[in-house]
Amino acid sequence: MLAERSDQPQPAARLSSSGGERVRIALIDRDPGFMQVLSRRMGERGWDHTIVGSPVTPEALVRMRLHALVVDTAVVGPDCWAYLEAVCARLPALPVVVCTGPSSVAQRVRGLRLGADAWVTKPCHPEELLCVIEAAMRRHRRRELALLEPPTVVGELTIRPELHQAFVGEASVGLTAREFEILELLVHSDRVLRREEIYERVWGYAMAHGDRSVDVFVRKLRQKLHAASPGWDYIHTHFGVGYRFAPVPSSSPSEEAQAPAARSVSPPVGQAEGDAEAERVLTSPAPDRER
Amino acid sequence: MGLSDLLAPSGREYFALFEQAGTNVLRAADLLDQMLATYPDRRELASDILVCEHEGDRITHDLIQHLNNTFVTPIDREDIYRLAGALDNIVDYTEEVADYLGLYRVEAPMVQAQQMATILHRSCREIAQALPLLRGFRDISPHTIEINRLENEGDRLTREAMAALFDNGIDPMVVIRWKDLYERLEDAIDATEDVANIMEGIVIKNR
Repeated sequence: MLAERSDQPQPAARLSSSGGERVRIALIDRDPGFMQVLSRRMGERGWDHTIVGSPVTPEALVRMRLHALVVDTAVVGPDCWAYLEAVCARLPALPVVVCTGPSSVAQRVRGLRLGADAWVTKPCHPEELLCVIEAAMRRHRRRELALLEPPTVVGELTIRPELHQAFVGEASVGLTAREFEILELLVHSDRVLRREEIYERVWGYAMAHGDRSVDVFVRKLRQKLHAASPGWDYIHTHFGVGYRFAPVPSSSPSEEAQAPAARSVSPPVGQAEGDAEAERVLTSPAPDRER
Repeated sequence: MGLSDLLAPSGREYFALFEQAGTNVLRAADLLDQMLATYPDRRELASDILVCEHEGDRITHDLIQHLNNTFVTPIDREDIYRLAGALDNIVDYTEEVADYLGLYRVEAPMVQAQQMATILHRSCREIAQALPLLRGFRDISPHTIEINRLENEGDRLTREAMAALFDNGIDPMVVIRWKDLYERLEDAIDATEDVANIMEGIVIKNR
């Protein structure tokens, strides 16, 4: 029998996320004994982990900004297949490991086909599960790096993820980290992104109703893009919905990019709603007051 | 200062100082309204609001100084104290909001905060219009009714804004920052109602 310490990971095998930040794992499991030993080992690796006793919505998982998810399908119950499918579809870049009790070949095949990266059968050694998680994270990271390596060219912009910056020719657009994250998110999406979605993905939390952070940062981003590449419009506002990225040569100078926060500028959706509300507030008739 | 100045109930100085305070309150609220509407592009307006706060302190000091140097006042001493204090409170809370936006490193405004600042601005405009009417103890009720209506709207907005902060999954830092800011904005709007009530009392007592 192997000694307890003999199977500890070597320092070289330890993993942190690609950005050098602490690895964040969520475990959907209700086995207290197994969770205890796993917690200790994850603590030794310097991983942050959250144990939840019931399924978490895919939206909540987005907000947790995870590097990997471990699911016991028995905890999810009969809806486990739909749940697995929803999570893998919503978070295609998230390594998902199923760790559950005895299962049939058909169940394992189904789980893996739905998007799980690995299937570990309980009872298992905690170190084995952690190595499977590490392997899944490594695979995802390699794929991300392979995807990120070539710079993306859109309009006059060259987006270089490895430098966390966009360029026009050799000149940097001078984006801040958050502006770059928003740009990258928009560039890699072929649809209109809702403000709430952008906030969740970039800030990692749910957006409070009325929060204008996304509008403020998109406006700054537009101003910088317009200054660097005045002949192009990159970010388009979809009133009532959000923003979409599509580089098109501009027919006329972009008004929004040129007029920083003038009060006369038509506000984007969040504000438009707010303004309508303010107008209602300020023009509603005075209530009769007891005097 | 002669004996006649001490005894004669000449209210010119008091009323002039109150009108200055009204103008100052309106300026501070206008600046905060602009600052939030354009935030974060015009953060420097916070320093102009701070100037208003100092000016408010100066006016309050002059009013109290004047009160200490005269025996007879055109309106109750107590009313002068209370009105001066309530006007000063508006500017103080307004300045706190502007200051906290920078102190808490707020990156972007909330729609509800912009709306509350607009309500505050409107209320202060009513105050600035009502204060000159105190000289002749004329009817200020259209202004006080409007201030009360705006205060009610401010209360409703504050409740909605607070509730929105406690939805699931909101960044706790956002909650801490904005709960504080909403409370200060509400205090400022409440202070405009205090001013309206005091003005109303002065007119009723002296008519």
